[in-house]
Amino acid sequence: MIGVSLFLAVAVLLFLLLFFVGRGAESTGELISRPDDQIRHGYQDTLYSPELARRIFSPEDRKFISSTGSPQLLRIYGEERRGVALHWVRQTSNEIRTVMREHALTARQSENLEVTGEAKLFFQYIELRSICGLLAIFVRLLSPHVLCDLAAYASKLSYQIGRAQQDLANAAQLATFRSPGAP
Amino acid sequence: MRPSSQHSGVPVPREDGMSNAAKRVTMHDAYEDLLRRTLSKISGDLGRLIYLASTRDYNTGTYHHEGLCVCYRGEDARMALRTAHRDVFCRLAVSSLEELVEQLEMYVQMSQEAPEEFHQAWEELEPYRIAIPMQVNSTMVQLFLSNVRLALKVLRLRQSQNPAGPSAASQLPSPVR
Repeated sequence: MIGVSLFLAVAVLLFLLLFFVGRGAESTGELISRPDDQIRHGYQDTLYSPELARRIFSPEDRKFISSTGSPQLLRIYGEERRGVALHWVRQTSNEIRTVMREHALTARQSENLEVTGEAKLFFQYIELRSICGLLAIFVRLLSPHVLCDLAAYASKLSYQIGRAQQDLANAAQLATFRSPGAP
Repeated sequence: MRPSSQHSGVPVPREDGMSNAAKRVTMHDAYEDLLRRTLSKISGDLGRLIYLASTRDYNTGTYHHEGLCVCYRGEDARMALRTAHRDVFCRLAVSSLEELVEQLEMYVQMSQEAPEEFHQAWEELEPYRIAIPMQVNSTMVQLFLSNVRLALKVLRLRQSQNPAGPSAASQLPSPVR
């Protein structure tokens, strides 16, 4: 009984997290309204740039601001960096959703799908969306530099998912060329 | 044939007789040329960013560089400028705040304007927004804008703590004054 309750609680929490991040992205109204080619361009930049995540969540800049000895500057820095970190979380979450939509389309047309690979990818996707949800909450409560490792892990996951989609798309393209009916 | 003219903004008449073979250089060559002959002469990435943004038409977003267009195909020259602009921007956007403060300080000195006036103009008008290339990652843009705002505040703080500090002391007299 306790196990079932725990499972349900985790499921509800996960759902709320996903909903929260999704709403966050929509409330900005920025990424969703962009044309497809810009989103494509954007997610290539974000997904393949772990350096960006490292820089946003790095404690280095905070140390530098602390060294100025100005509490007011430190407060302004906190607000500024929190805003950028939230933007990164929303963008990553939104872009990975776009990647998975593209992946689903490619997968439907693919003839030799690997079930284990697809399941792994799906779990990675759920994991990433959950981490984005957690990051969206904790960035508001804590200083972004505390979440450096979690953000780096999210960045790595998003890279892996983006890469998997790219591989599948390449394989599907190759299969089209090799098929006897292809022009 | 390699370009022999300097590309530092001096308009060079276009040689109509130049053969296609002479202009058969790729975008990569144009890019290398831009780095070597023009950008290497500008100190600091922030200065390079502002310079590259100034080669872009505000209305159309297309780049134009007289010197490069003489030696390379128009499309190659535009691509080289666009690539260089994006590269410099990405480098600046992911640089540390400390590095950006140094870049900004260097740029203030290079501009030969009074630091106080410079800080005020940059904080109010935010001219650095124009220096952002098109179609770059929006988070990168947010990070860059936020870091420039912070760098300006750091410089202002330093200025208030030490009015005769490096920015003011090393400032060269402006020719218009």
